[in-house]
Amino acid sequence: MKRLLLFTVSLLFIAFTLTACGSKRERLFKDSKVMMDTFVSITVVSKSEKKAREAMDAAFQELKRLEGLLDFYSPKSEISKINKGSGGVPVSVTPTTFSLINTALEVSKITDGAFDITLGVLNRRYDFFEKHHPTESEIKKLLPLVGYKKIVINPALRIVFLKKPGMMIDPGGITKGFAADRAIEVLKAKGIKAALVAVAGDIRAYGLKPDGTPWVVGIRDPRAKSADEVFATLKLTDMAVSTSGDYERYFIEKGVRYHHILDPETGMPARGVISVTVVGPKATYTDSLATAAFVKGLKEGMKMVEKNGYMAVVVDSSGRIYHSKGLEPMLELLKKHIEVRD
Amino acid sequence: MKFINLFRDTRPLDWLVLILVTTVSVASLFVARATSAKASDLVTVEVKGKIVYRLSLSKDTEVDVKGPLGITHVVIKDRRVRVTQSPCPEKICVRQGWISRGAIVCVPNRVVVTVGTEIADRSVDAITG
Repeated sequence: MKRLLLFTVSLLFIAFTLTACGSKRERLFKDSKVMMDTFVSITVVSKSEKKAREAMDAAFQELKRLEGLLDFYSPKSEISKINKGSGGVPVSVTPTTFSLINTALEVSKITDGAFDITLGVLNRRYDFFEKHHPTESEIKKLLPLVGYKKIVINPALRIVFLKKPGMMIDPGGITKGFAADRAIEVLKAKGIKAALVAVAGDIRAYGLKPDGTPWVVGIRDPRAKSADEVFATLKLTDMAVSTSGDYERYFIEKGVRYHHILDPETGMPARGVISVTVVGPKATYTDSLATAAFVKGLKEGMKMVEKNGYMAVVVDSSGRIYHSKGLEPMLELLKKHIEVRD
Repeated sequence: MKFINLFRDTRPLDWLVLILVTTVSVASLFVARATSAKASDLVTVEVKGKIVYRLSLSKDTEVDVKGPLGITHVVIKDRRVRVTQSPCPEKICVRQGWISRGAIVCVPNRVVVTVGTEIADRSVDAITG
């Protein structure tokens, strides 16, 4: 009898240990791919590896589809078709492309044109590897081809038309956020309870990690040499975040930094701030609002972001860090200011 | 039947079984921890989404990987990784410098160097910017 008891205790102990090891607890699964001209990583919380893989594969497949439709540089994309038809042929597009362009126009309106996808024609004149930028007279000649009001859309027929010949739309400032949102929708539809999707620096997360804590996203130090050096962290759940900075694509000529965020009014790189991070519900908006706020500068940019129910962290050109009050519960600053030497 | 009697009446073989079970359980806990700690030591080099090298961060080494544009040179030294040469036009990967966590990505040459495994032991889950 007594031995039986001891035996039972031992058996229970073994059973307990085994359950603790090979359990069906929630775990993190991560997969990354080079696509959409950048690095995309998806992290999901799941009890089953199979379910996690299936969901991640479906999300990557959706991103592949978006890449085919929206790539500015691919001649086969719908964006290229719209650009080829400029000044002549209205182009009928898929609901996905139409939704992206429609949202881009909406953001142009709420930012008074600080975000503008018609900058494509000027974007093409900057070559950050060859260190080439357009001259003043070139910019002057091309500026009449810029302006979101010159895009005509017909929602019923899903038609997009660029009024002036030579116009080009480049949705690069909104596509990655849009893609992150789409990937999240796919993961949710596949029954995933928590996940984080990062399309380069455009990130959206929902739910909590297996240990019950929120997702932690670092904000890159805009002047640190290493890309993984961060100056702040954000604790996020059911939120998106994007950053626009003058350090992503740039070159320096005679002490002047030429970077890729252009002011639609001047056609020149926007000045005044060096990094803008926007936080809010949807990545489509954090992505495009970050670009718009960068163009508008510290005061106007911050005001515009907050007016639309989003929040921002801004680093000005002297390295001072500013942030929306609403971010305080989730923001942790690791540096008090950024060392700027240019 | 008091609990104390259980111990008094236990035979040597019972003790042996109990000790064995305890040792195995405790040891398995340590093994599990050691294995997961090792995970963040792993450096993987991928070309076009396929892993071509699995290297250790603690062993200094240099490797060449062939991508669509040519050879990317990856160096591991003093528990850090960097890309020193790349055929890509913008050299973003080279400019990124040394990393001890996260990833270096060369989009044009389709090369991805990652420190840590799929479940990386990182203080942040992602970086914006």
